[in-house]
Amino acid sequence: MLTGMGYARWSGRTWHSPVFRAVWLVFLGFLPQLTAVYLPFTRDWASDELASAGLVWSQAILLLFTLINFKVPGMPVLAVGLAFNLTAILANGGFMPLPFETAQKFVDPNILSTLETGRRISNASKDILLAESNIVLPWLSDRFVSPAIIPYRFAFSLGDIFVATGAFWMCLGIQPVRAHKSGDS
Amino acid sequence: MNKTFNQIVFSVTKLNKTHIQFAMMLLALVLLVLGAGAPEDVGGSGIK
Repeated sequence: MLTGMGYARWSGRTWHSPVFRAVWLVFLGFLPQLTAVYLPFTRDWASDELASAGLVWSQAILLLFTLINFKVPGMPVLAVGLAFNLTAILANGGFMPLPFETAQKFVDPNILSTLETGRRISNASKDILLAESNIVLPWLSDRFVSPAIIPYRFAFSLGDIFVATGAFWMCLGIQPVRAHKSGDS
Repeated sequence: MNKTFNQIVFSVTKLNKTHIQFAMMLLALVLLVLGAGAPEDVGGSGIK
């Protein structure tokens, strides 16, 4: 967002923050994930089946929000990323697949040895650990690892790249340039 | 004096509304990204 403001100032234009329609859908859509994955008290209570259903419903509602706001700059890119993640989750039993081969690249071996293939990583996770050969649509899974120069290591998907790119584009506030018709004020 | 005061009140009211709208948009965007993305750090075990 700061980059967007700086870019707008540099290019002599006014920065426009994105304007969303039906914002309530975001809050409604995030609620199942908040309870099933993020809040410690509720996620301990939720079973994996409930968490999986919550994750799918949550992303479906968020996808609806992106479709309603499809004309917002960057939103189509974010929507594609979300659709990729949702597809990977639906195709692999309700959680995002994390290939075992990818986990080996960034997870401490002592911790990795405690994880069970075919099971959810933890009750705070959206991921399920799977051998790459058992993953449906493996190119949509969390198969990329953050660069080693970054101290905080994590795995991410192609969908995550699209989501981040779309959000960044949105924050830049770049509006499509419209040709002025004669007589326009 | 009264006109100036009214102008200040009007400006502050407008500014607050703009700020609230901006904060709502920012919160919605953060929640959207958190909800749409699915990166994994295995409980922070990737920290080296």
